[in-house]
Amino acid sequence: MQTPNPLFREGWVEADGFRIRYMEAGQGKPLIHLHGASGMRLTRGYDLLSREFRVIAFEMPGFGSSPENTRTKTMAELAGSMAAAARQLGINKFGLIGTSFGGKVALWLSVQEPERVEALVLEAPAAIRPVGSEPPSGSPQAMARGFYAHPERYDPLPEPDPAIQAKMRALVARLRGPDRDTDLENRLKGLAMPVLVLFGTLDCAIPPEMGRFYKQLLPNCHLVFVYDAGHAISTERPEAFAEVTVDFLNRHEAFVVNRAETVIHP
Amino acid sequence: MKVSYFETGRYVPPPDLPREWPVPAGSYDPETGAEAYRGMVERARFVEELGFDWVSVSEHHYSPRILTPSPVVSAAYLAARVDKIKIALLGPIVPVSNPIRVAEELAMLDTMAPGRVVVGLLRGTTNEYLSYDLNPKESRERTDEGMELILKAWTEPQPFGWQGRYFQYRTVSIWPRPQCQPHPPTYALGTSAEAGEFAARHRLGIGLSYGSFELMAKSARYYRERCAEYGWEPGPDDIIYRANMILADTDDAAEEALARRDKQAPFPVRPGLREALLQSDTTRNIAGERRPANVGGVLPISFCGGPDRIVEQLRRCREEVGAGIVDLSLQDPGTGDVNGMMCALELFGKKVLPRIGDM
Repeated sequence: MQTPNPLFREGWVEADGFRIRYMEAGQGKPLIHLHGASGMRLTRGYDLLSREFRVIAFEMPGFGSSPENTRTKTMAELAGSMAAAARQLGINKFGLIGTSFGGKVALWLSVQEPERVEALVLEAPAAIRPVGSEPPSGSPQAMARGFYAHPERYDPLPEPDPAIQAKMRALVARLRGPDRDTDLENRLKGLAMPVLVLFGTLDCAIPPEMGRFYKQLLPNCHLVFVYDAGHAISTERPEAFAEVTVDFLNRHEAFVVNRAETVIHP
Repeated sequence: MKVSYFETGRYVPPPDLPREWPVPAGSYDPETGAEAYRGMVERARFVEELGFDWVSVSEHHYSPRILTPSPVVSAAYLAARVDKIKIALLGPIVPVSNPIRVAEELAMLDTMAPGRVVVGLLRGTTNEYLSYDLNPKESRERTDEGMELILKAWTEPQPFGWQGRYFQYRTVSIWPRPQCQPHPPTYALGTSAEAGEFAARHRLGIGLSYGSFELMAKSARYYRERCAEYGWEPGPDDIIYRANMILADTDDAAEEALARRDKQAPFPVRPGLREALLQSDTTRNIAGERRPANVGGVLPISFCGGPDRIVEQLRRCREEVGAGIVDLSLQDPGTGDVNGMMCALELFGKKVLPRIGDM
């Protein structure tokens, strides 16, 4: 499914009755990544994050090469498993970043264990969706059109393994929940941690206008549009993605204060 | 067909004015400049009375040819002094501007003159980039991103940040918002494939300028095809055609004026600079077909004749280009022949305007 990334090394952790694969790179404060509905993808944007942080990207149970997951019944349960996996790795407090489907898992995790999440980044989150929306599906070409603003710039996505795809589809369909999840949304109003929500201006999987709902619900939320990116922000604008993510994770809400120097000739 | 009068702030230059762009600031005469701006108001009121639909203003720098470096200042000045006529800013040069500032100022104007502001967003001509020290190679991308950001600033109800290629903001939340919702009527100005694509994607109009009917028709066709791909069909009011017109009492008199016309641009750039600018701006195109940039070239006259012939030419423009709005310079900006222009405006208002409304 995924091009091997030489920066990241593979590891395994037993947590909540699952054997969970993860990829790890970098030093420093821990940053946990939860992937989207099509599984773990370590894009160039995450390479850049690993220069600043100890990035741990989990493969959530039931995705990729892991066995089929018929046990997890809700997003909240999946979030609990991932929080347990982090604890099992000895990581108590961490930055958290969730992509698309993983954004919703990350929000549930933050709701359940807010004291452990120092700051939360949501990359094109799929927790709040227009009514009737469906995750990108179909041929690799159709998937690419759903993910990318500029599919012509990338190698064609590989033909997926039908067994893996069927297993993940069933899991996502069971867990993704309603387009507007009032239970989750009510809990977001009490979430005090700093949250950064990123949307590509050309996201055609989740309209970037969904960003305003997070801003309305979350008391300490920053919404940033990444120009000319589609749903796959960290692939299409990796430097822009990493710059704002690193700045936010390091400085939290102070990241709105510009520190770039503009002196030309001192 | 709707008609817009292109107001250029006519500065009547003395004959000994240096003729090279940039024109030395020291040769500017304050009284002549003040007269140019008083004249702006007179002409705007005059065309309003004659029944013109719009008066348009533009952004140009460092010469008296078009004495309006800030279209927003021009538009605010005019908006307070006319009543009905719409004021079209065609338009702010986006790649040299702060897009947030543009969005804010246009929202102010749209609130001060509700329903009377029309916006065109523009890449600008190559020599204009010297004014604010912009690398011409970046002008296309800065324009596209700047336009996108202006639209977002107008329409996004929550404070947001912008992680662009050329623009970066962490906090945007403009007050006032535009009076017209979601925003005032807006056009992407340009003949390029990029302008057509942008306008189609955002359901904006398009503004074409100065090319032949045949070339502008090609550009308009490209725009309409892109609109169809985005699932909508533009109407006549979505296409502006800006052009020069020489109108006289008779065809012969107009032809004579055309023959007398200067064959050189009023304030050309030096040949070496012209060459450097051409080499640095290589992405100009008409509907995707490469064209050299226009650097100080003389702009053509697209309409020329007495009233009957002009009506016929406007009909052809309506049919061939599909433009429902013509934005006209009567006689050449920069010639200083203000009286000639006023006569032509009156003639247009009386002998042409009544015959083209239902075109």
